[in-house]
Amino acid sequence: MAVISEARPARRRLPRRILISQSLIQIFLLGMVVVAIFPFIWMIFASLKPFKELVESRALLPETWTLRNYEEILGRVNFVAAFRNSIVSAVSVTVVSVFTSSVMGYIFSKYRFVGKEVLFTIILSTMMVPFAVIMVPLYITIANSFGLADHLGGIIVTGFYTAFGIFLMRQFMESIPFELIDAARIDGASEWRIFFTLVLPMSLSPMSALAVFVYLFNWDSFLWPLIVLNSQDNQTLPLVLAGLRNLWWTRYEMWAAGSMLTVVPVMVIYSFASRYFIRGIAMTGLKA
Amino acid sequence: MTSIVDGSRAAGRAETTGVWFVVKKTLRKPQFWFGFTMIVPLLIWYWIFSFWPIIQAFRMSTVAYKLLDPANSPFVGIGNFLKISQHPLFLVSVKNTILWAVYSFIFHLPLAMLIAVFLSKVRRGRNVYQALIFVPVVVSLVAVSLLFKMLMDPEVGQLNKLLSSVGLPELQWLSSSSSALPTAVIIATWKGLGFYVVILTAGMMNIPSELYDAALVDGTNPWQQFWRITMPLMGHTILLITVLLAIGSLQEFTLPTVLFGSEGGPGNSTYLYNMLIYQEAFLDIRFGTATAASLLQFAFILAISVLQIKLIRPSWSY
Repeated sequence: MAVISEARPARRRLPRRILISQSLIQIFLLGMVVVAIFPFIWMIFASLKPFKELVESRALLPETWTLRNYEEILGRVNFVAAFRNSIVSAVSVTVVSVFTSSVMGYIFSKYRFVGKEVLFTIILSTMMVPFAVIMVPLYITIANSFGLADHLGGIIVTGFYTAFGIFLMRQFMESIPFELIDAARIDGASEWRIFFTLVLPMSLSPMSALAVFVYLFNWDSFLWPLIVLNSQDNQTLPLVLAGLRNLWWTRYEMWAAGSMLTVVPVMVIYSFASRYFIRGIAMTGLKA
Repeated sequence: MTSIVDGSRAAGRAETTGVWFVVKKTLRKPQFWFGFTMIVPLLIWYWIFSFWPIIQAFRMSTVAYKLLDPANSPFVGIGNFLKISQHPLFLVSVKNTILWAVYSFIFHLPLAMLIAVFLSKVRRGRNVYQALIFVPVVVSLVAVSLLFKMLMDPEVGQLNKLLSSVGLPELQWLSSSSSALPTAVIIATWKGLGFYVVILTAGMMNIPSELYDAALVDGTNPWQQFWRITMPLMGHTILLITVLLAIGSLQEFTLPTVLFGSEGGPGNSTYLYNMLIYQEAFLDIRFGTATAASLLQFAFILAISVLQIKLIRPSWSY
């Protein structure tokens, strides 16, 4: 070892420098991970502590382990309904808008019709309009024309199309060759069949990216549900959770338990599918 | 649709047999019906839920909206705009919102860049680090707000216990009017950083490694490589991120509302512009002034976005 290193000093120095810089990078990233994760770990244990201990103790682990917080919160607040509402709205918006985005991406990239580019530009430019501009007229439409005030449908129907999704899918589908689609047409496949058996399977990767994006956005959506949904039984998780603040003023163990109930299911899904989440966000950044 | 139509023949026939023939031919095409059944619902939906509300917003901003008899709302011209600009909290909310955006930039950009550079350089465990740093993005913003409100309680919160056990002075965090806003932006940064890190890392991983090899051969240090290779080539990604960050932070609503309630932190110190619009619209039920306020926001965000694109758009890409 020593002989080799004396013979080739330049080669020995390089790996060591890399080793040092790599270790520093590892330490830094580890620190960032601790910052990102530790509050959750604290919250897990906080939700298992009685109030007095949570307020007084400095220790991370509870001295007396208790599930009473969860019992009390599930008895007072209808978390099951909130959960159902959140899942129903986020999943249906995701399914519908990923489908409509794919179809419209296909049509905008592979079809030719009068006013196509104008329509596409107008749809894209609606993305520039802040939500605050349309929230009042939109609420009036939803409440008066559709009778969907305080109804889950009111936050679902407004998510059926997304300009961003149409844009993303069009960007991707431009790269599908015309020849493939023409070959399928010559073979006598219907347009529906071409779309479902040829175009969709080729687009699964941007579709999953878009699905993650739309799902995260809707699962976490706060302002629009706050406007539309008033009664407790119709509210989604973020609204119910925000309501804990007024229900139990500074009873932190209840906050922790309620937050855990909303966080854990998402974390379970995330631990299996984190790859898709990250790829989805990365892809939207590269495509946009 | 385009490529299977033989252009010259279709045109020739159309000339000899008239417009009606072309229409009939189009109607017989399967592509036409597929496109038709898909585009019509799109047009209807966009008209009802996007175009019409936008048009309505412009109309609504010029009338004193009558809730029970909207058709007869009296026209007031720019009256609503004048009224909202004289709202006692208007200037406060504008100042707070701009401060929020400035703090957002200061806290997000350098840290996200640093983490992304390290993530793109690390040789082991990149995916695990990325997945864990991304966790706060996935978690509900409301849960995050509650979590930090617990941790930052000035009397019983863990952060102050931590500070005092190390011998540092305890902080007021969210409870004093001077520190509430920056502290809230720190929470927003903690929650949102992973999103920008992932986008930046993806952009950096896309830079061909030959460029860094060549630079290494030329004897550059990592600092030079960052400013001469990474930054210029990341131009488009950085533009995207700054625009997203500006649009997002100028429309912030959820975090301050959950942290402090609809009237915003101690002494209105975190009362943001979107909270003003929400209050006008749905608490004080003044639809006219609320939409006028939102149009001002629209104009401001548009101007800022155009400015950003003009200032930092790279003139070339690789």
